[in-house]
Amino acid sequence: MTTTQLTDWLLAPGLAPDPADSLAPLYTGAAADELHLPHCAACGLALELEQRVCDGCGGAEVIWRAVAPAGTVHSVTVVHRREPGLVLAEEPYPVADIELASGHRLVLAPVFPGTAPPAIGDPVAIGFRRLGEVAVPGFTTAPAAHDPYPEEAS
Amino acid sequence: MNAPAIVGLGATVMSTSPGGEAAALAAEAVGAALADCGLARSEVDGLLVGSSQGVRPDRVGVQLAAQAGFGDLRLLEHIEIKGATTIAMVERAVLALREGVVRTVVCVFADAPVRARGSAGSMYAHSGGNSGVRGLERASGLLGSVPTYALLAARWLHVHGGAAEDLCAVALAARAWALGNPAAVQRTPLDADGYHASPMVAEPLRRLDCARPVNGAVAVVLAADPGVGEGARVAVRGTGRAHPVRRRRTGAESWFGGGRPAVDSALGHAGMTRGDLDLIELYDPFTVVTLALLEEYALCLPGQAGELARAGQLGPGGELPTNTGGGQLSGFYLQGMTPLHEAVVQLRGAGAERQVPGAGTALVGGLGGRSDHHACLVLEAA
Repeated sequence: MTTTQLTDWLLAPGLAPDPADSLAPLYTGAAADELHLPHCAACGLALELEQRVCDGCGGAEVIWRAVAPAGTVHSVTVVHRREPGLVLAEEPYPVADIELASGHRLVLAPVFPGTAPPAIGDPVAIGFRRLGEVAVPGFTTAPAAHDPYPEEAS
Repeated sequence: MNAPAIVGLGATVMSTSPGGEAAALAAEAVGAALADCGLARSEVDGLLVGSSQGVRPDRVGVQLAAQAGFGDLRLLEHIEIKGATTIAMVERAVLALREGVVRTVVCVFADAPVRARGSAGSMYAHSGGNSGVRGLERASGLLGSVPTYALLAARWLHVHGGAAEDLCAVALAARAWALGNPAAVQRTPLDADGYHASPMVAEPLRRLDCARPVNGAVAVVLAADPGVGEGARVAVRGTGRAHPVRRRRTGAESWFGGGRPAVDSALGHAGMTRGDLDLIELYDPFTVVTLALLEEYALCLPGQAGELARAGQLGPGGELPTNTGGGQLSGFYLQGMTPLHEAVVQLRGAGAERQVPGAGTALVGGLGGRSDHHACLVLEAA
């Protein structure tokens, strides 16, 4: 897989998340191009990223493990307002709320610049951007959703 | 026992220019509310304070008791339930009055996000930090609050088959009401062309789909004892809350839903039905929220909110007068104080150009987080 951007196209490095915070396992996994997300150790239910107790069985042990890097689009916007100093992209950029095959939900930006906004319900794959020193998950769309003639793009 | 009532209302000028700090604005609104009902600070024994959540260091808190010149109090709290705070504050006051813990309670909300350096939008873009889920979202380009609600809006329009015209209709209704409200900060006439010319912030939300931040404050005085305060009273007939915990998981509709019990509860206390409501005053930080809440609170038939808006039924002269001062969109954004202030003005019959004829009852809603926290009041002219 070659879905990791080495320098970020979208945001200034000051927006890099704190890789030692409660989502540390996600960032450690992302650095190895793997998507690690939390599950209930007892019943396996997909948990929200900051959830401490399972709402399914009441279990209080959380395990993070690699999941399939695939999902579908729950909602999507294209952000036009680009705050100077924070947003490096020179064009409006899509952000998608993604329903992962693992049962989790993540709000993600595209891995690559120039990604056309997907439609709700479209399949996406998960790759990784590198924002400052931190790898963060992003989405990639199927080749058909890209501009078929990128070399002719202005 | 008499129903607790709102006996005093006070507000500062709503300013879109830098100036004023939250504590001074809060003190000014409190002074105006007490003068409105002829009470002295020494007659107040309860103070509830609400402030905008976030990183601003000058937010008002319990220190306002000393800052605003109060004496000894028997109830003093800084309440924080995100955007649901203000309406929940009134509920807290009502409960304390019913219990007899206090005789006279002041509730105040103040905010001063408009600064000399940088726009409010810029300040929101820089707020939120680098940790937890919000840190990851910000690292994904979800800066400020508009893109989050843009995701909600896109999903809502997709699920309900709505279109940009529905959002436009809400913005136009709000502006039409604001034309009659001297406190509204956006009072130039607006048509569909003007709406569509508004810059896109995050699709499908344009600048005119978003609330207008102001520096300002609103305060209300509540009492149950008919001997407290002079002038028009607005009774609090019912209160309700809903805090739906919606799991953000694959297959879950997590951006909306779950708020209806707050309205059911408030109406139940009041012994009223939705058909008894003359005014709907909702928390409308974005146009889509007005539509979503009309459906969520079952104030229209399922799937009909967009059509009602397009038919002009939310605006002046419509069947469902909604956000009659222009709401947060065209009026001013002071969280739950925006719908509460407008309801009290209307139920006192003081709405002048925008007065809804015969308005005797109102639903007032507060909304917090990502549509996660709902607080409602049913008010009636007393």
